[in-house]
Amino acid sequence: MRPEWSAQPTGLVERRLAVLRHIDAETHAAVCRALPELDREVDRAALVDLVAQVAAEAPDAARALASRLIHLSDALADPMALRKWALHGLQRHREDAKARHQFFEGHDPLAFADHRTEDDSAHLLARRGALSHYLAGFGFAAHRIDLLEPQATALPAPALVISNESIRFPRRTAEVPVAQRGAWQRAALAHAAAHLQHSPLGRPAGNRQPMLLAMMALVEDARVERLMVRVHPGLHGLWSLFHTATRETAGFDYAGLAARLARALHDPEYADSNPWVQKGRSAFEHAAATNLHDLAEFDSLARLLAIDMEKMRQKLPLFYRPQPAYRDDNTLLWNFNAALPEDETRTIVREDFELRPDEKTPPDLRPVEVDTRRRTRYPEWDHQLQALRPDWVTVIEPASRPVRDAAARAMRQPRVQLRGLARTPDRAVRRTRQAEGDELDLNAAVDNLIQLRAGIAPDGRVFQRHGRRRRSTAVVLLMDLSESTKRYVPGSFTPVLEVEKRAATLVAESLDIALDRIAVHGFSSNGRHEVHYERIKEFDEAFDAEPRRRMAGLESGLSTRMGAALRHAAEALSRETTDHKLILLLTDGEPSDVDVFDDEHLVEDARHAVAWATGQGVRSFCVTLDRHADGYVRRIFGARNYLIANRADAFAGHAGQTLVRLVAH
Amino acid sequence: MDPRSHPYLIEREPYYRAAGNEVALFTAAHARSLPMMLKGPTGCGKTRFVEHMAWRLKRPLITLACNEDMTASDLVGRYLLDAQGTVWHDGPLTLAVRLGAICYLDEVVEMRQDSAVVIHPLTDDRRMLPLDKHGELVKAHPDFRLVVSYNPGYQSAAKDMKASTRQRFGGIDFDFLPVDAEVEVVSHESGVGPELATRLVRIAAQSRALRGRGLDEGISTRMLVHAGAMIAEGIAPHDACALAMTTPLTDDHELQAALAGFVEAQFGPRP
Repeated sequence: MRPEWSAQPTGLVERRLAVLRHIDAETHAAVCRALPELDREVDRAALVDLVAQVAAEAPDAARALASRLIHLSDALADPMALRKWALHGLQRHREDAKARHQFFEGHDPLAFADHRTEDDSAHLLARRGALSHYLAGFGFAAHRIDLLEPQATALPAPALVISNESIRFPRRTAEVPVAQRGAWQRAALAHAAAHLQHSPLGRPAGNRQPMLLAMMALVEDARVERLMVRVHPGLHGLWSLFHTATRETAGFDYAGLAARLARALHDPEYADSNPWVQKGRSAFEHAAATNLHDLAEFDSLARLLAIDMEKMRQKLPLFYRPQPAYRDDNTLLWNFNAALPEDETRTIVREDFELRPDEKTPPDLRPVEVDTRRRTRYPEWDHQLQALRPDWVTVIEPASRPVRDAAARAMRQPRVQLRGLARTPDRAVRRTRQAEGDELDLNAAVDNLIQLRAGIAPDGRVFQRHGRRRRSTAVVLLMDLSESTKRYVPGSFTPVLEVEKRAATLVAESLDIALDRIAVHGFSSNGRHEVHYERIKEFDEAFDAEPRRRMAGLESGLSTRMGAALRHAAEALSRETTDHKLILLLTDGEPSDVDVFDDEHLVEDARHAVAWATGQGVRSFCVTLDRHADGYVRRIFGARNYLIANRADAFAGHAGQTLVRLVAH
Repeated sequence: MDPRSHPYLIEREPYYRAAGNEVALFTAAHARSLPMMLKGPTGCGKTRFVEHMAWRLKRPLITLACNEDMTASDLVGRYLLDAQGTVWHDGPLTLAVRLGAICYLDEVVEMRQDSAVVIHPLTDDRRMLPLDKHGELVKAHPDFRLVVSYNPGYQSAAKDMKASTRQRFGGIDFDFLPVDAEVEVVSHESGVGPELATRLVRIAAQSRALRGRGLDEGISTRMLVHAGAMIAEGIAPHDACALAMTTPLTDDHELQAALAGFVEAQFGPRP
């Protein structure tokens, strides 16, 4: 792959600026004003490309970004972080133009520049599956494990946030040593499980002071952990790893004393000379000895501790977070009676609340048109970042025919077993009484001897062996339906689409339906939010009048976002139980789309999609009509996995032969 | 009693902790000579139950582990050769029919459906076994009983019993014991104290919550007994749990990590 800025050809910046002017003149003007001001080191071509990409989706956001470029000199020094940041903004606020505008206007790109943050986030995401199993073991199988929104590194790292649907980790865990990150994640989840099991959730906060709320939460943390340790004694040791506060390290301010009290309530071995900590400990132990479930007792002891704190003139710090590091921000304990948007659930406890006036307007009961088209989101590979952009592309399918999702899910369970059964040679196919074979057919041998003794000429076929079964294949024939398929094939009077249809029909008719399953799908795209996907013939459908009618009705239009279509086709194949799975792509040109200006991007994404599909056990093959396809098709599909048909009449034949060859493998 | 049945008699009482009234149910079905089907997850005590009942009813027990290569002649018998010519050899089923033993077919669904049909004449009111190759009709000994077991959890859709086979049986559903009873079993069988046994059982309980998340079965009572016995012999709890429980259970790294987390939640971070 050619890194574009290492050998930046002169004029690349100008070319990209021209593209940008075409998209949005105002952004273009702002960028042109900013460019001369920027540092010499800044990679201008990549920057313009990024702005163009934002502009293609959200012109107002691009204008906001372009106008603050000169103030972003720190962020511009790290183009990767800037790119991650911009893509995150486009993705996170894909449906909310206002929030998107605010993001590009004010959010700090440096949130993505910190390597520890990126490393910690990646560490957590890589373990998300294991952690969600771990949480399920405590009985909370439905909770999602996610990351909090990125924030500028200048602020202290937030605490874990627990809600009824999800548990969201901070992206940065600077205070936890790298080697302990795994233990920290488990400790946090076990603590979350303790709250979810034993805490009363969403108690009205009323007019309690923030200090009191924080103290009640501290006592509650200790109480639920006590209860949890009764059933899971090992958790005590796990949590102990993080209770490190001492007189020397934590200090005498509010946060320090609170951390020391938390440790004193957790660890009976820990000795603390502070009278407040000692008082808290003895009061807690007294209450705990009577009844750990008596909330009122613990509330009143928290109140006393808070009053003492006030007397000591200690204040709750602005960015207070409960200690030690694995504990959450305890917002799930309280109901502040204010409906905040999901992103801002991390409220600082000192906020006052206000009652919203009742909404008097009657609800709008007019019928609304419901969009019943099925949408699936797929990631897309960004070759500049060398990373997947999660949920970047939306594949849309018409809702005309319901696909049996429930049935497909029900089939998941035995699939693993069936795969084992389906391997050839197949022992279930038993060929007895053979003239030669691997083992003796005992019944035939005995018969033979009996015949011999009886003086009859024996049969002689006394062997058996197990038979073989030809492997079955499921094929998705993927037709490119983009605008370019309207063109005539060079040297003929047939449009490309017509040739594709002929090939698809030939292939669909020629496969042996007893063994192989074939589906014919088509795709075209209009930007990343609209990849249209058409199921012309389903696996379970006969290739009769209805699919033929659908095939005849296909029309060319829009662009070619190949990667998303390949991923969707591979997903469709993942529900199949055949031995081999295959995508055969019929196309006439390289991938392109209206919102992508980097020529490499979609080619690299398609290459990644093919590699991913191979990892899922799906092979991909391409038959193309583009004579100049050599360069990119080889890159996408690999050296032996494509065929360039240079004549229209040969295309269908090539496709058919290719398929026969692949299926026979 | 036929001297041939002596090797199949169980002399000492196998330990069995009843979960409910299954002993009474089985005894009643035995008195009605109803064939029995025992369902339940692996390692929850089905085989031990059959052994215990054979001991209690003082009947010989002939056990057969079924597999998909098993044919009807593996069950009923076949002709074999010796110096004089061909000799008929009874299969285990025929032997049990003649001796009046309990014939126990373990994992019966692993057997091919068409092979399983040979038990049909034995399991209705005819109670006889035709040996067509031998030209003999064996009338079942009045004490002959048939017991089959299988695990409905992980069998594939392709493997199941025919409806006509199923309907000949009475059934008892087994599951893992409630916590207290399982602690009792693990403690008795492995020799660890009840406190340690409780921790092991709690790990198993957490692992069973992962069923359907990529795990076919949670940690079984049998695994707990193995782990407990190793701890009783002085192996460190983390190592014993890894060896006897988490490592054999699954190859999936994420599930392994979660299981290790459950061990940690009982025994603390690995020192």
